Amino acid sequence: MMSKSLSRNKIQIIGILTVVVLAAISLYVGKFPLEISELLAGNELHWKVFVNLRLSRTLVGLWGGFALGVTGFVYQTLFRNPLAAPDIIGVSSGASAGAAAGILFCSGFSADVLLLQITGVTFFSFVGALTAVVLALILSRLASSNSKSTIILAGIAVHSLAQTVLMVLKMVADPEKELASIEYWIMGSLNSVRMQVMAGNMVLCVICIVVIFMLHRQLLLLAADEVEARMMGVNVERLRLILLVLATLTVASVVSIAGLVSFVGLFAPHAARMITKNNRIETMFLAGIVGSCLLIIADILARSIAATELPISIFTSLIGAPFLIYLVVKGKADI
Amino acid sequence: MNHFEVQNLTAGYGNNTVLENISFETQRGELVGVIGPNGCGKTTLYKAICNSLPHEGGCYIDGIELENLSPRELARLCAYVPQRSGITIDISVLDVVLQGTNPRLKLLEYPSADMIERAIEIIESVGLTGKENMNYMHLSEGQKQLCIYARAIMSGAKLLLLDEPESSLDFRYRYQLLCSLKEWIRTNESGAIITLHDPTLALNFCDRLIVIAEGRIYAELKRNITSLEEMEEKLSSIYGPLSLQKCVNKSGYEQIVMLKEN
Repeated sequence: MMSKSLSRNKIQIIGILTVVVLAAISLYVGKFPLEISELLAGNELHWKVFVNLRLSRTLVGLWGGFALGVTGFVYQTLFRNPLAAPDIIGVSSGASAGAAAGILFCSGFSADVLLLQITGVTFFSFVGALTAVVLALILSRLASSNSKSTIILAGIAVHSLAQTVLMVLKMVADPEKELASIEYWIMGSLNSVRMQVMAGNMVLCVICIVVIFMLHRQLLLLAADEVEARMMGVNVERLRLILLVLATLTVASVVSIAGLVSFVGLFAPHAARMITKNNRIETMFLAGIVGSCLLIIADILARSIAATELPISIFTSLIGAPFLIYLVVKGKADI
Repeated sequence: MNHFEVQNLTAGYGNNTVLENISFETQRGELVGVIGPNGCGKTTLYKAICNSLPHEGGCYIDGIELENLSPRELARLCAYVPQRSGITIDISVLDVVLQGTNPRLKLLEYPSADMIERAIEIIESVGLTGKENMNYMHLSEGQKQLCIYARAIMSGAKLLLLDEPESSLDFRYRYQLLCSLKEWIRTNESGAIITLHDPTLALNFCDRLIVIAEGRIYAELKRNITSLEEMEEKLSSIYGPLSLQKCVNKSGYEQIVMLKEN
């Protein structure tokens, strides 16, 4: 028992150390050659670059990746489906459509009220994400069979619907201003993240994640059948709704800042489970750590591999898509 | 006072009525078996008692109407062992059994060290000694069934509802589970209702048998009270021609054997 918990702690420590190392690399990598000696000497330009460009995107990589990993764990357990992830069940697409609407409707605000613009985009993003998840739930309830695949099929339908809404929004957007913002945002990037605008999202995200961790024991009860969970004293409908709102709010707060980030929510929980072989609270934490690692690595590659910055989803998909195929081939994705 | 009571229960799915006006009661210390042909409504009865299926009529434990209880209050009084658990995630046997403590824990509370110790004792008592840290998903179907049974015991509820718990168990585990259940009922002054696939097991282990056919209670058979001939007649009309015989095993324990007749 003692050695088991020791090795469990070891895994967490290795995970945290990996994130710290990656975060340090992320702070250093970029077009501007940041020097530690200049920072220590108090060079104003170096400090500006460090705080506004490097630290902000590294922090988003940290908490954004962590949030996506944890929410992937929540969705997979909640829907009792290994393929349930924010981007697969349509939550991310809903958030994208919502954020695009936010960019469109809030672009009228002047630059002085940048914060209002960002809050508006976050708000619309959340509404979009929540609408998507509610729609997916309603559609899966309408299905005559109650199989685990219905939520995935419903998610695909919602994803298509969200893409249609997005297309309409892009058509009515001003090609010179809003359309470019929407396109750039959809591709997913941490480039435009600034400290002052991410604070609110980060606080919201941290609160949601803390509550999710507090409800971990209850979450695992939902992994049983509905009647079974109910007979273990769980108010299934209420708990499911609370966890769904928390997870969706978390995803929306990340997506509204970082844009569409694919596959992190799918890959991270599976990678964590492959390491720990269980679904305990430390596995949920590890899913977050893996998510952070993945997003930071993707961001480092996005800004260093080519002359221009590439969308981070290219790199997350490069890992996530083959992994999805692996799940299907290995029969682990029993939808 | 009756320990458990079902009064005029009518339940079904949509317009299809499966159970019609069922009434029966059980006493403390009693193991009551529910038997009947496939599709007679055994699982529907459990779903109605568990408040998971809209129904008419009422169910009472120690006079408390179950229909008015929250899931937590209901789970404190009554635990359910499904035919097959819906758990499909990697989770240890110990964690599954500890899920049984949920009705007694606050929303954010975790099981105490005493509860963990008790869970390990229960795991051993059902025949899963040393498997507490094993992945539930790696157990055989029979072992999974025992694990879910252990979870129900862990809940501390005074009434157990078991839905064909022996269906995946081999000969040895089948008897081990039923003996453990009888012992649990005796030591805890509790009660249990069990549906069994095998009428012979039901005849030998249950104090009383409720035979359901076509959505109604067709017969009530009491061990040591109802005559063998009457049991034979009632069961024959459900399962086809059969005969019952009393046999004594080498330990001197009398058992009823059911034989199929042509």
